[in-house]
Amino acid sequence: MIDQTTAVGERRELISFRVGQQEYCVDIMAVREIRGWSPATSLPQSPNYMRGVINLRGAVLPIMDLSSRLGLGSAEPTVRHVIIVVKVQERMMGLLVDAVSDILSITDDLVQPTPDVACDRVRSFVRGIISLEGRMISEISLDRLLPEREALAA
Amino acid sequence: MDELEAIKVTFFQECEELLADLEGGLLAMQDGTSDGETVNAVFRAVHSIKGGAGAFGLDPLVRFAHVFETLLDSVRSGKVDASPDLVALLLRASDVLADHVSAARGMGDVDEALSHAMAAELEAWDGDGGAPAPAAASATASASDDDFDLSAGVAAELDDMDFGFTPMTISVEEQAGADEQAAAGWMVVIQPKSDLYRKANESLLLLRELERLGPIETTVDDSALPDLADMDPEASYLTFKVKLTTDKSEADVREVFEFVDGDCDLTITPLMAGDAPPAPAFEAPALEAAPEPVAAAVAAPEVDVAALISAATAAPAPQPAAAAPVAPPPAPVAMTPAAAAAVAAKPTTAAAPAKAPLEAPGPGQSVIRVDPERIDRLIDLVSELVINQAMIAQRVAEHGIPQSSNLAIGLDELEQLTREIQDSVMAIRAQPVKSVFQRMPRLVREVASMVGKQVRLVMEGEGTEVDKTVIERLSDPITHMLRNAIDHGLENPDERREVGKPVEGVIKLQALHRGGRIVIEVTDDGRGINRPRVQKIAVDKGLIAPDLQLTDEEIDNLIFLPGFSTADKVSDVSGRGVGMDVVRRSVQALGGRISISSRPGHGSTFTLSLPLTLAVLDGMVVEVAGQTLVVPLAAIVESLRPKPEEVRALGPTGAVLAVRDSFVPLVDIGSTMGYRANAPDPTDGVVLLVEGEDGGKAALVADNIQGQRQVVIKSLEANYQQVEGVAAATILGDGRVALILDVDAVINLRRREAPAPKPTEPMIAAE
Repeated sequence: MIDQTTAVGERRELISFRVGQQEYCVDIMAVREIRGWSPATSLPQSPNYMRGVINLRGAVLPIMDLSSRLGLGSAEPTVRHVIIVVKVQERMMGLLVDAVSDILSITDDLVQPTPDVACDRVRSFVRGIISLEGRMISEISLDRLLPEREALAA
Repeated sequence: MDELEAIKVTFFQECEELLADLEGGLLAMQDGTSDGETVNAVFRAVHSIKGGAGAFGLDPLVRFAHVFETLLDSVRSGKVDASPDLVALLLRASDVLADHVSAARGMGDVDEALSHAMAAELEAWDGDGGAPAPAAASATASASDDDFDLSAGVAAELDDMDFGFTPMTISVEEQAGADEQAAAGWMVVIQPKSDLYRKANESLLLLRELERLGPIETTVDDSALPDLADMDPEASYLTFKVKLTTDKSEADVREVFEFVDGDCDLTITPLMAGDAPPAPAFEAPALEAAPEPVAAAVAAPEVDVAALISAATAAPAPQPAAAAPVAPPPAPVAMTPAAAAAVAAKPTTAAAPAKAPLEAPGPGQSVIRVDPERIDRLIDLVSELVINQAMIAQRVAEHGIPQSSNLAIGLDELEQLTREIQDSVMAIRAQPVKSVFQRMPRLVREVASMVGKQVRLVMEGEGTEVDKTVIERLSDPITHMLRNAIDHGLENPDERREVGKPVEGVIKLQALHRGGRIVIEVTDDGRGINRPRVQKIAVDKGLIAPDLQLTDEEIDNLIFLPGFSTADKVSDVSGRGVGMDVVRRSVQALGGRISISSRPGHGSTFTLSLPLTLAVLDGMVVEVAGQTLVVPLAAIVESLRPKPEEVRALGPTGAVLAVRDSFVPLVDIGSTMGYRANAPDPTDGVVLLVEGEDGGKAALVADNIQGQRQVVIKSLEANYQQVEGVAAATILGDGRVALILDVDAVINLRRREAPAPKPTEPMIAAE
């Protein structure tokens, strides 16, 4: 993975957000924008964590319900819910989350490997855990989230 | 990509254009519609390819282009007659050259044997026609000595032949050569045309090149300069007279102007020892009157035209002195004959730049190269603008603002403007079908020689424009149609002779706009479709019922059935039985139609029609289970509200709709797409009778029809992946994404649940 080549001690910035009662984060370089929830057009024949598609300034943007994807149950989106638009490889995707918390500036040595207790799904999505001021924040590995990526990883 | 690679990419792009020009020019020569300029253009195309290839060290390409160019040069100079046989050879040579270019690009290989044979043939021909020339002229120094050995060898063999006229021409050259020896140098008069500067050439560089041959004395004739107010800053008004003292030959001097060939009027006259250059005598009065900067520039042996022009333009208008040298001297003092000639020639000089843009709007001129992605981006933005405008209009309507209010009127105008912008932007991306058509002559030549038939391809409507998205998809069906026409449509030469037709078959490839679509027709003058045989084969292969009564048209179109092949033998070219049905399917996938009509003994016509763009689509907006969907209009045969007696149950869950004595399966879009679990009563909704790509019909049930609309196609795959049953997405006036239904996939999705009988052909289903 690319990030492992990052020298220890080099600072990275992460955006952290809440999904249910848990805290997750993604690399800020992958985030294109953050926008409020707007109703999505549902996609037939798609996994239930795909909320559907929305219009992002003329582009069709798929929205993934991160809560459902992580196995925490489907979210019931309200106006307070947030879509984090991320770019994974050449594709854009919206992640539906409960709320954005803050921006973290960390060094790689703060990232601990994912403990063995976690289930397979979590282990494949979480690349590491950051302990910060008593909080536990899991860093999401974005390239594993899309369905075919999961198939590749399996 | 490093810089050199980037330049190389540009070079190959230019090669494409040059090869197209080359082929176009040769075809014009073949048709007899060429003039002297065509031959020059053909020569320049090969020459430019060679030049560029040399810069990148693409040796095989350079070697072949060189041989090719040499022969073309002979044609150009009239040493070799451009007979039809020669043009045919040149056309084949252009194919080989195209192969070399592709190979140099790393795409495909060159058939070495073919290339060598072709090179040898070209050389032989050159030697043939221009044989005595090199032999006689070998004493004269020339820029291209390396050719001579080859040609001279051939020339020796051909010495017996009578080419009396050719040595005559040569002897004149020899005479000139003799003069050259005596000449102390050359008087070179260079009159650049505006094109020279437009092609980023620079007269200063030419002068410097000349200086390499020997000391030069340059004077400039600015007598053609108009009044400052009338001056076109981009036009060329100056004539340079260069007195070159050298022992080099005229050919050497001409070589300097190799790359500006045709872009400047060049006269080279030998300069005898003691010859006074006539020009300065004439120039002198003008120079004296000239203001300082201009005079300085003119006096300098190397004249920077740009500087001169800017000096002239910079000079403020009220200064009468500045205008003086620009205006032609009213009464020149001591006008020499040469000067008189220069003055006489002036009107033509002045006329030339004005005429140029009119007569040559061809490739390369005033054409901008734009990265297609930028245009795509612009199209995206404009379609967003259209959507946004529709959103505002909807909001305004929701607020109950009257139609007659200023706001509503302004919005109407905005809508018109945005539509116009959309059309104009789409027009930018529209391209003439020429880019596809120009690949076809080669294909026809190859296929014709493979099947041993003589074919002439006539193309019409190459300028017909269609969106880039469609252009890319045209090539395959046209290729198939042409192959089919040559292989199956045209008779063998013997057969043709028997029925009294010319041995050479004619295939016409035509493009035209009809009813908002582009229509491509391929017509042959062959035997036409043998209908009894076609029907028999279809029956034998079990494709249709034996006792089926079909119209002529229906029989003709049987050839599109999957697994149909009329060829007695399976040939290399076509006849594998996958041809036409595959073509039809791919055409239908694009929202197009293909059909054939035929007159026995007189030939057949394939007609292909496609939408002008694949970026927008005419669709029917429907509501299904609270979702808004778009059904492509091209797939819809009719829409209707079913009456209870028309709906019949079939099996436990299936239902069919009776439409004029035939039964069409009912498909509920909502439950097939997974929007709802149970299909509602079809009589509560609307039924869209659709026809799939394979001709199968289905009655799609929707809750409600919102209307017909043109929608902009947005890809789902760009950010996600393909979704079964969905062709693409679009954005509606309310800003929401709506999915465009893939009619075939929906029909197939239903089939998977309940295996349906084999799909039947439309006309047969209507039995």
